[in-house]
Amino acid sequence: MFTDYFLLSLKSIRHRKLRSWLTVIGIVIGVAAIISLITLSRSLQGTIEDQFESFGANRILISAKGFQGPGTLSQGLTMDDVETIEKISGFEYVIPGIFRSSEVNFKGQTSFTLVGGIPSQYYEEFYTDTGVDIVDGRNVKEGEKYVAIIGSRVATEMFDKEVHVGDKIEMGHQEYRVVGILQEVGNAQDDSQISIPLDAARELFDEEDAVDLIIAQVKVTDEIPQLQEKIEKELEQERDDTNFQVVTAAQILEQIGQVLGIMQIVLVGIAAISLIVGAIGIMNSMYTSVLERTKEIGIMKAIGARNKDILILFIIESGLIGLVGGALGVLIGAALAYAVGPLSQNAGFTIHITLEPLVLLFGLAFAFVVGIIAGILPAWQASRLKPIDALRYE
Amino acid sequence: MNHIYIENSSANRAMEVLQLKNVSKVYTLGEERVTAIDKINISIKKGDFVALVGPSGSGKSTAMNLVGCLDIATTGEIYLSEVNIQKLTESDLAQIRGKKIGFIFQTFNLIPSLDALENVALPMMFQNVPRDIRIKRAKALLEQVGLKERMYHRPNQLSGGQRQRVAIARALVNDPEIILADEPTGNLDTKTGDEIMDILKELHKKGRTIILVTHNPDLTKLANKVFTLKDGKIVGA
Ligand SMILES: Nc1ncnc2c1ncn2[C@@H]1O[C@H](COP(=O)(O)OP(=O)(O)O)[C@@H](O)[C@H]1O
Ligand SMILES: [Mg+2]
Repeated sequence: MFTDYFLLSLKSIRHRKLRSWLTVIGIVIGVAAIISLITLSRSLQGTIEDQFESFGANRILISAKGFQGPGTLSQGLTMDDVETIEKISGFEYVIPGIFRSSEVNFKGQTSFTLVGGIPSQYYEEFYTDTGVDIVDGRNVKEGEKYVAIIGSRVATEMFDKEVHVGDKIEMGHQEYRVVGILQEVGNAQDDSQISIPLDAARELFDEEDAVDLIIAQVKVTDEIPQLQEKIEKELEQERDDTNFQVVTAAQILEQIGQVLGIMQIVLVGIAAISLIVGAIGIMNSMYTSVLERTKEIGIMKAIGARNKDILILFIIESGLIGLVGGALGVLIGAALAYAVGPLSQNAGFTIHITLEPLVLLFGLAFAFVVGIIAGILPAWQASRLKPIDALRYE
Repeated sequence: MNHIYIENSSANRAMEVLQLKNVSKVYTLGEERVTAIDKINISIKKGDFVALVGPSGSGKSTAMNLVGCLDIATTGEIYLSEVNIQKLTESDLAQIRGKKIGFIFQTFNLIPSLDALENVALPMMFQNVPRDIRIKRAKALLEQVGLKERMYHRPNQLSGGQRQRVAIARALVNDPEIILADEPTGNLDTKTGDEIMDILKELHKKGRTIILVTHNPDLTKLANKVFTLKDGKIVGA
């Protein structure tokens, strides 16, 4: 019984190929937009969360407030501040770091990139806790000075010639031996960084006492809020100013999550609008289709079709159109997300696209429901036509 | 056209298949009221071949539509095999149209998206006839109206005469009690029209009840009853 109606609807759709396709396209655009936008924004969020997870949930970062760099030393952090924090118990280690830009020469070619320096004895722990592996070579050992660990982009993209373990790079007229290459992290800044021991960095940047960033690794995750507060209190007391900021990884993640959330709302909003436009398109098409086929409805009634038969036929028809549009939209939307994902690499960020079955299913179901809803009104009107009026319609 | 497929269930029982008692149909167009049918009384027995004649606008189609349950009379009563159709719901009327009436229109009225076979089978779908039986019956009827080779052609791939044959096969498919043919040859040339009339003649011979609307006096010779309508009234029987 239902199969018969289904086949009849199918024939009717195929008979009006062009009009049917025009209707389908409206839905395809809406669903493709919603699927690709949701997938992209959720993938982006997933990627960022992954990065911060690897960054370490147990870290508290202390830096000078606002712009920090040459000429603002008076406001910056110093080794005194490191000592202040070290006196607080509850940390596994407290690492002073310098992070600045430097010229880098390799085989006659010059480039510019971020150079980070932390004490050589902390390298092992730091990279273990960060969760970034050394894919080639080894880590910096305690007591080493003119050695470097380089990010994946430094190795493969920064210079015409690839940098290998054992090669020499030159910064500030000093040669550094590359001992290790890091795995790709996924964002351009981290992957373009060169890490050297703090002693060497002090020489390179001619800084005896300044510290750009203090990384404090806590022992117990639950104590992070108290420790954060304690750091703020102690530093303020010792320094007699508030020109510093203390943030946790969780806080950064939360901020990014908020920004992403707003972005997601905007994207989904855009997609929803296009879906509504698609739904109006279906409704319009269904109305036109009913109008065009008024005579056909009259014929069917004349040979015994009841109102409910007509209603079912038209609802199946619009549901089918919705379903076909939804299926195509899901396919195109997924393809779009996969196509756009890699483009983000140019912006210095690799989004790992993950398709969520639930999102795809939602797209399909939504299109089906929209199709049916869009079809109900014209179908109902069609079904209620008086047979003779429908038959007389030209 | 040697043997037209009929299996009229209650073939020889002389009874009133159709009765119109004081039936009127008034159309209201704004202020204006048009009385298309004016208190007509008609009685038709099983196996009758009735011709309905009269000038254009005299109310012939209106009468046919009332009998065919496509429209509802303003006043009066219409009995189809002793059931008063004035009192039925739209859904019941649809059932009657499907089961008891076989309509043949001047403009054929086939569904353009369906081929000949599907068009003929369609009325059975609305009566919940199983698919295999539908196909079998539709094929047999198409064969009998001489369209065995055209079963899978869509209406726009058929000539006018062929389309009307499809329509006749469709009208017969649920074994109706009355066949209503409203100027079935009006859109056909004389030769093709004659062939269609031959089929109707044959159906009558086999016991079908037929009401035929026509302008053509020659065709009325076929009928055993002739009603002449003028301005919605019966002026000659
Ligand atoms: N739907 C309608 N609305 C108003 N007037 C109608 C309608 N249908 C038919 N009529 C009028 O009723 C009269 C009979 O029409 P009809 O039954 O079609 O005549 P015939 O079939 O004999 O040519 C005509 O005057 C026609 O104008
Ligand atoms: Mg007429």
